[in-house]
Amino acid sequence: MPLSLYYYLSITAVNILMSWALYVPYRMTQLHFITIANMMISGYLAGYLVLHVHVPFVCALLIGFVVGGIIGYVVSLFIGDAPTFAVVIVGFTFIYITRTIVENLSIVGGTMGMFGLPNIGGNPVAHRWIILGILYGLVVLCGFLIYRFDHSSIGRAASAIFVDKELASSLGIDIKKLGMLVQTFSCTLAGGVGVLYGFIYKSFHLDFFGFALIGVYMTVLFVGGYSTQWGPLIAAPILYGVPLFFPPAVQSWRIVIYGVMLILVLVLKPEGFITRKSVYSIGLALSRKREKVIRS
Amino acid sequence: MELNRTLVDEKKTPMLRVEELSVSYGQIHALEKVSIEVYPHEIVVLIGANGAGKTTLLSSILGVKAPTSGNVFFEGKKIDRVPVDRNVREGICLVPEGRGVFASMSVLDNLLLGAHHNLVNKDKNLARVYEWFPILKKRKDQVAKTLSGGERQMLAIARALMSAPKLIMVDEPSIGLAPIIVNDIFDILVMLNKEGYTVLLSEQNAFKALKCAHRGYVLETGTIALSGTSSLLLNDPGVKAAYLGA
Amino acid sequence: MQVFIAQILNGLSIGSVYVLLVTGFNLLLLVAMIIHFSYPQVVVFSMYIIWLVLKMTNNNLLLGILAGVSSAVLFNFISAPLFQKIMKNREEVDINATMVLSMAIGWIITDVLSHAFNNGLPIQFPEEITGSRPLFRIGLISILPGQVWALSIGIIVVSGFFILLYKTKAGRAFRAIAEDPAGARLVGIPLVKTGFQSYALSGVLGGLTAVLLAMLFHSASPGLGEQVSHKVLAVSIVAGLGNLTGGLVVGLALGILEALVQGYISGNWSNAIAFVVMLIVIMVKPKGLFGMKV
Repeated sequence: MPLSLYYYLSITAVNILMSWALYVPYRMTQLHFITIANMMISGYLAGYLVLHVHVPFVCALLIGFVVGGIIGYVVSLFIGDAPTFAVVIVGFTFIYITRTIVENLSIVGGTMGMFGLPNIGGNPVAHRWIILGILYGLVVLCGFLIYRFDHSSIGRAASAIFVDKELASSLGIDIKKLGMLVQTFSCTLAGGVGVLYGFIYKSFHLDFFGFALIGVYMTVLFVGGYSTQWGPLIAAPILYGVPLFFPPAVQSWRIVIYGVMLILVLVLKPEGFITRKSVYSIGLALSRKREKVIRS
Repeated sequence: MELNRTLVDEKKTPMLRVEELSVSYGQIHALEKVSIEVYPHEIVVLIGANGAGKTTLLSSILGVKAPTSGNVFFEGKKIDRVPVDRNVREGICLVPEGRGVFASMSVLDNLLLGAHHNLVNKDKNLARVYEWFPILKKRKDQVAKTLSGGERQMLAIARALMSAPKLIMVDEPSIGLAPIIVNDIFDILVMLNKEGYTVLLSEQNAFKALKCAHRGYVLETGTIALSGTSSLLLNDPGVKAAYLGA
Repeated sequence: MQVFIAQILNGLSIGSVYVLLVTGFNLLLLVAMIIHFSYPQVVVFSMYIIWLVLKMTNNNLLLGILAGVSSAVLFNFISAPLFQKIMKNREEVDINATMVLSMAIGWIITDVLSHAFNNGLPIQFPEEITGSRPLFRIGLISILPGQVWALSIGIIVVSGFFILLYKTKAGRAFRAIAEDPAGARLVGIPLVKTGFQSYALSGVLGGLTAVLLAMLFHSASPGLGEQVSHKVLAVSIVAGLGNLTGGLVVGLALGILEALVQGYISGNWSNAIAFVVMLIVIMVKPKGLFGMKV
């Protein structure tokens, strides 16, 4: 497999997973940017464990998930039912704090970064296949979990909170409990993805985890459509892929292009390109077609 | 009642004319082809139960809620779909239900807000308002939330007067007030009417309102069920049964 | 002790900049009903405009300042219709969507600054605006002219703003809308027009803040806006969203805290420590120390 295709496929998977990590809490209006900090914390931790303590990669990955989940859970004890802007700023503060700690921590390379992570499976080719396998396995697993979540009573409760928080709580929905659930899920996912993100390049560097990441994931979420899980799934490959065909001079303006696109979508198509309505009508069309096929 | 006769008999042009106004909130029709007229120097009362559409009617006249069909004319000019602030400038004002004063701002600030478009005459208007409501002068630097219910209602009316209106619309002034204070409020409205203001009043307390008004309309689930002079409505058996508790 | 006094002075001058930024942010929040998260980024953009104009006009200070203020006002006016449109999209004020829009504006500013100006390298302001040498020096304490200017202009602008808010017709309308938009509309205050006035006023505040930042920091980089944005949002939440007096206190306190950390702890920890303190406050008191006014 060519290297460029490997990067495209793996980064697309990361974008899908991380946009989903934003999507799930946003079902109840929380923009949980702490996930970016979770990526960084779990990633650097796993990198350190593999490189210096010689822990097997699988264990490090699991530790990454668990650490992400624990941080997410502890934070959600405080901000499980906090309003959007409070959740946003908690995310930013975590990113700053993590960045500063990493910068000043020489055992993870400080501003230089961490290089020379080993190939999983012994050689570069096996490494790529294993990383892609794990990433897309995660996409399928999370897709399934989120699908179940969206079509369950808690998904309905989240939608109710999105529309009217007070009304929802008067219906007996425990906002804090639901918030803790979705926040812990997102942070667990982000922790694991952070480990894989570093292992895609076999190195960790502060520049991988800039605020630009928030821009990418937010654009994927809002342009694709924040009201169904299919929005990020379809938008991620397109938004990451199409700019790769632009000339390099245009490509360097990627963030501006994303920003303009996000503004246009917010103004013209506030729910994004893929809405619940479009998913419903596509589903309807498919089932009609199936009926026809069965009849004929 | 003498005044009443002269006004209607003279067939003056109405100050406010609402023609077949319909308003809906989504699928729900709040008003269906409501027509009312208010002549200069009148007190007209809208009677109706909760949810009959009184507040909707008043706020559509002011332009807060756009009608689905029908017309509103004020002094001969069509004013539906005109922005609220323009209507206020033209001389319509609304004293909202629940004594909507700005609780964290001072009494003076509240009054000056009423004069937002009319600051040139503010000293003259302030002097007049203080003359009518001496209590407000005494409390002018107090924050509005420290006022009692009756005082807040007075402040809301006084604030409306600061815009030098021609037509004062008062939404449910008696709600939540002690009976003796309700009397004061109605006395104030009658006094304002004698000073030359035209008053359109919405009220559930039909007996007291009809006592001081010239004419009335009975609103039932978004339509005008009955209209006429106050004495006529006071003696109507249907009105008596439904609104006067007799 | 000398370090302490020096850093307190330092902190007050930086704190006054935070106060100005939080005030502009809160004004937009209360009157225009948007969370303009990237408002400080607009301010940093104005800093770049000032730098550019100074460079082009051979350091004409007056033109530079004018350009800074007018670019901030202009920027606000250009973004105002977008915000208005978004609020209309959902039939009611959707404050979260305005925040996302504002973030997108912020990314664009940061990326434009890092591509189009000075090859993305930090810009240095000329001595004409920063002042050349300390006004005076006692031991370790040295007072730079920029600090004096920042502090005094900061005090003048903030008190001018509060006078405007509490003594004028426009200020009265601002406060009425902040307290009860529907009630303000009934009284006859034009909501959209007053909203635009708040965009203009916060633009003027932002432009002046850009001048102060140039005086204080002597330089700017594309990433500055993001950092200050996050701090300003944190300050306004710690103080209580929309709470102007709270913003005044917390803004100054943050400036002093940062300066003290810089004075006594080596390394680039001042940001992180400031954020840790604010994080703790937000987690324990999500509605802020002084109460929300929204």
